[in-house]
Amino acid sequence: MNDQHAAAPGDIAEVEMRGIVRRFPGVLANDRVDLRVAGGEIHAVMGENGAGKSTLMSILYGLQRPDAGRILLRGTEHSFGSPVQAIAAGLGMVHQGFKLFPSLTVTENVVYGSEPTRRGLVDRAAARARVAELVDTHGLHVPPDARVADLPVGVQQRVEILKLLYRDARVLILDEPTAVLTPAEADRLLEVIRGLARSGRTILLVTHKLGEVMAVSDRVTVLRDGRVTARLATAETTPAEIALAMTGRRIDLDRMHPAGTPAADVLDVRGLTVSAGRGAKPLVEDVSLRVRAGEIVGVAGVAGNGQSELVEALAGLRPIDAGRVLVAGQDVGAASVAQRRHAGLAYVPEDRAGVGAARDASLADNLAMGFHRTPALAGRGGFLRRAAIRAHAAKVIERFGVKAASSAVTIGTLSGGNQQKAILGREITHDAPLLLVEQPTRGVDIGSIENIHARLVEYRDAGHGVLLVSAELSEILALSDRVLVMYEGRIVAELPRAEADVHTIGLAMAGGGPARPEVRPDDDTRPTATTTAHQA
Amino acid sequence: MTASKAGTAIEHPSGPAARWALHVRGAVFSPVTVSIVAALILGAIILAGTGADPLTAYGSVLTGAFGSEGIGDTLGECIPIVGLALALAIPLRAGLVNLGGDGQLVLGGLAAVSVGLYSPFPGAITVILALLAGMLAGGLWAALAAVLETRCGVPLLVSSLLLSYPAMSFVSYMVRFPLLQKGSGIPQTDRLPEGVKLPEFAAGSGAGTGVSVGIVLIVLAAVVYFVVDHRTAAGYEVRMTGLGARFAGYAGVDRARLTLRLMFASGSLAGLVGAITVLGFPYRMVDGALTTPGYTWTGLLAALLAAASPLGTVAAGFFFSALTIGGFGMEQETAVPQQLTAVLQAVVILFLAVRGGIFRKGGWLHRLGRGPDGAAAPPPDLETGVLESGVLEPAVPEAAVPEAAVPEAAVLDTGVAGPPAPARGDGGK
Amino acid sequence: MSFDAELIFSALRALTPILFAALGGALCERAGVFNVSLEGTMLIGCFAAVTGSWFGGSVWVGVISAVLAAMVFSLLLAIGAVTLGADAVVLCIALNLLAVGLTGFLLRTVFGKQGTFGDPDLKGLQPVDIPGLESVPFLGRALSGHSPLVYLSWVAVAVIAVLLSRHPWGVRLRGVGEAPEAAQSLGVSVARYRYAAILTSGALCGLAGAQLALGNVTLFSENMTAGRGWIAVVAVMLGRALPIGVLLAGILFGLVEAVGFRLQGEGMPQQAADAAPYVMTLVALFLATRSRARRGAAPPGRLTGRIPRPRRFARTTSEPQS
Repeated sequence: MNDQHAAAPGDIAEVEMRGIVRRFPGVLANDRVDLRVAGGEIHAVMGENGAGKSTLMSILYGLQRPDAGRILLRGTEHSFGSPVQAIAAGLGMVHQGFKLFPSLTVTENVVYGSEPTRRGLVDRAAARARVAELVDTHGLHVPPDARVADLPVGVQQRVEILKLLYRDARVLILDEPTAVLTPAEADRLLEVIRGLARSGRTILLVTHKLGEVMAVSDRVTVLRDGRVTARLATAETTPAEIALAMTGRRIDLDRMHPAGTPAADVLDVRGLTVSAGRGAKPLVEDVSLRVRAGEIVGVAGVAGNGQSELVEALAGLRPIDAGRVLVAGQDVGAASVAQRRHAGLAYVPEDRAGVGAARDASLADNLAMGFHRTPALAGRGGFLRRAAIRAHAAKVIERFGVKAASSAVTIGTLSGGNQQKAILGREITHDAPLLLVEQPTRGVDIGSIENIHARLVEYRDAGHGVLLVSAELSEILALSDRVLVMYEGRIVAELPRAEADVHTIGLAMAGGGPARPEVRPDDDTRPTATTTAHQA
Repeated sequence: MTASKAGTAIEHPSGPAARWALHVRGAVFSPVTVSIVAALILGAIILAGTGADPLTAYGSVLTGAFGSEGIGDTLGECIPIVGLALALAIPLRAGLVNLGGDGQLVLGGLAAVSVGLYSPFPGAITVILALLAGMLAGGLWAALAAVLETRCGVPLLVSSLLLSYPAMSFVSYMVRFPLLQKGSGIPQTDRLPEGVKLPEFAAGSGAGTGVSVGIVLIVLAAVVYFVVDHRTAAGYEVRMTGLGARFAGYAGVDRARLTLRLMFASGSLAGLVGAITVLGFPYRMVDGALTTPGYTWTGLLAALLAAASPLGTVAAGFFFSALTIGGFGMEQETAVPQQLTAVLQAVVILFLAVRGGIFRKGGWLHRLGRGPDGAAAPPPDLETGVLESGVLEPAVPEAAVPEAAVPEAAVLDTGVAGPPAPARGDGGK
Repeated sequence: MSFDAELIFSALRALTPILFAALGGALCERAGVFNVSLEGTMLIGCFAAVTGSWFGGSVWVGVISAVLAAMVFSLLLAIGAVTLGADAVVLCIALNLLAVGLTGFLLRTVFGKQGTFGDPDLKGLQPVDIPGLESVPFLGRALSGHSPLVYLSWVAVAVIAVLLSRHPWGVRLRGVGEAPEAAQSLGVSVARYRYAAILTSGALCGLAGAQLALGNVTLFSENMTAGRGWIAVVAVMLGRALPIGVLLAGILFGLVEAVGFRLQGEGMPQQAADAAPYVMTLVALFLATRSRARRGAAPPGRLTGRIPRPRRFARTTSEPQS
């Protein structure tokens, strides 16, 4: 409340965050961040994955407490212990993953928790009327009586916005609102956002899509590595300037690893489609790609653009709706996980604690997975050779520098980096022609990152193919011989190593990149060295 | 959990005395020990409430179970209880709950007694055939429950239990009508022909419930389970499925096939117990004799207590057998009803479940980020004694945690959390 | 066998305990708690009902004791599963066995009996004749003359149906079960609603037990619920946790039980009658999952006793920090 040095009355910001600091173990997510948003403006908060945008918004919305810093709404200091308090103060947030009740109607979703009542029961007529009125006022085009589950994603998003309006939010925080929308739906949403701003509401748009920032925002605050790197007026800036602020000037990591020498295909995917269920746009749509022995193919993209689903479909963990998958020449489109692994595939999954390992099993047991039926570890009749299992574990532990007291400890007690080294070590030891790697260094300390990168390059140089999915652009650039960019379930760009740079990839990740040339099935000369620059 | 830790220790005897001291401390303060002690204290309070002296009562439990009179009964009780504990532990090791032990048990008994009564072969061969028939009957019935889950989507918990009731009714009907001993007022089958029986140990002790060689079969089953669990690739896959269903699936373990096999093995063992029982005194099948004592449930509790580890299950089964038999001794000495022991068995598991010892907490509280996080954080492993240094993963704000992380935490496949679209999240196994 | 009023009468009587318990189960299901302790809670209700009626000298003391005892019993589940985050299924398995042991123990200590306690002086629920209805030819004999709890169970269906569809409490409860994080984000306490659901389910199981021990018969015998609580669990699944659906599923089981009982009188072995509800249950579950799978609504392996989630919402991946 002590706010003597607030600016002049006419200059009071709708939202002001001052000196916000938030630490996580090993990471400084927000480092003295200042954010100032004027009333009625559309303010974009931009940054790459991990730049600290979501943390900042979580703090503003009361989901997390800052370690330091102040929050002022119209000059009054607030300290939110929970979103409920933030809502009461006039804030509202649309989360990236919607928080809706699928089986309830739009009206029920909107009024949930503060229902109008009449004689003790929910006054459906009043609720419906209020929702219909809000829909009309703001041109949202949402049917109040439809079940939310039956609505397309874009409409569901507008239901989320309705919830905020029903609670009279003056400041709307939209976290990556177009991430799950088709381009047409996204355009509609931007229209809605403009309308809301015209009606006097303040919009905080968290995004890393340059296109929509340029299209809709008034001002931009750019974050990188937890710090504000730019405050720009949209009218006076260019996409390139914003992209530069987002990505910064990085050390050119490509130089660290020489290029690979590609040989025969180890993975050949044609027209792969993974549907998301009825009515929704496919998670993976008509993806074709190849990985050759002796190369690392990086898949860049903002998280949630189908990369995980692509890899899961390749690994056999997710059913394929259309397309063909050849692993080392074998068609594995309908094969089980075990058959795919047998065909020559190893996989380091994104969720290492839940999928890549059994937390409560010993390191030795975790490292034996997949080898437990090989002659090396299991003798006649499937009897395990315990000594061999320990030796196998010791070998992996030593070779990959896993720090553990012994192979008997449960893997869950290891640090993230050591868990990852163990899992990567296990999968590399399979010596499979194709290695799928997802987010190999997420939550991993710097030392382990270098180690993991070196292992992947070494694996490539030993004549294996690697498909690397990462949200870290620097990682993609450091390792990849070829870069594919995924956007909304499709591969929208394919860049050879020489042409892959932060700006080109960043632009493609945000949906504005150079398109990928058509691949004809009979096209033997892979367009690895050509990139045409017509728009997607 | 303790049991599995002990198991690991046996496999990796890498450290000297200090390490053993840690193990002892780990065992003493393990959730299992704490739960048992807590249950015994609660039992003492109940005993005091009924006017009995808790110490006298517990003393009479001990003498009742292990005295010269009781030890034979305790071992005899071990056949069904340890047998069923092992049977139910087999699927539980992979996180699957078989609640249909009773049905599998009585079908095994019925198959064995039918073979025993009508086999044209000599005694010894008939006994073997009867045992095999019992295993087959129980195994197939349990496999049916597995098929209902994997093919029809009926949760195993429910399918196995629901199949149990008609099986019991069918067996009861068979015993009371087609196989009924003529002229007897008791609903029982004819006595098996002379020579069709499992020989007894300690024949001289006089009491009718001497220990048959059936106990050797149970011990054998335990040994096989131990070896398969600890030493074979198949057992390894089962353990890994129990510890991380998604991990096993990712590595190529076929869950449907595993479920079918485990349930068949589980039902076979339950059926074997039924067969052993009817091939022992009184060498016939008596309606209700197999199900009334609730062996299945006692066995399930024992398996839960031991987290389905082979040695632990045997130990827990023996403990519960002794408690049950000791309960009768207590009743004679102090007039406290023996049902108290059943109460204590259930209470042990309640405490254990609440301690979150066996089964990791999958509580939604944690997901919502408002739970007692400090309390829920796994303590540094006693076995390693150290938490790995190094950079931990950034603590993810709870609200931003992908829902994928959610219900996996429960190791138990209860059918509560389906594959990738379970109730409260997107994750699943 | 003829399909007459007496058959309907006995079907409705057989239905009542299952219906009460299943309504309780449905509430828990709606709140996102997989409650398979209905069997044990009902058994506690049976015992408390007989105890209360015997010592209180009034059948209503018995009914109230049943409700209170079952609520206290289900409080164990609430504390364990909601507050302490323990695995609900393990808790429920232990609770079911605790109920068997505890009632057996108390039967011995309180009544000094083993197996069964019944007494001519034990007051049971008296039949209520509905004025006007009792003289209607067919319906009178089928619908009139039941115990008051039978009628209460019908009222309970209606009340819970209205509660869930119209009352703010019910609407919020459904939300809590369907998307707890969404409910929480709007300031609705998930824990409070789950406690309420579990305790209400306890009260309903208490009523189920009272009807079973003081209505259908007038005695307590060990394990007298005999799987009815599990049938109730299945009724919740089949009825998709909707009060009306649960009622329909319950009527199916009640009819099967009544028909079985009737056929038993006509020479069919008792065991066939005993098995009939379970066989029926399995067949019904099988058909339900089959047809659901054919419609593509819930792939096999997904029917989990929870309300099938129509469609995915949140994306499966999101970033820790954006």
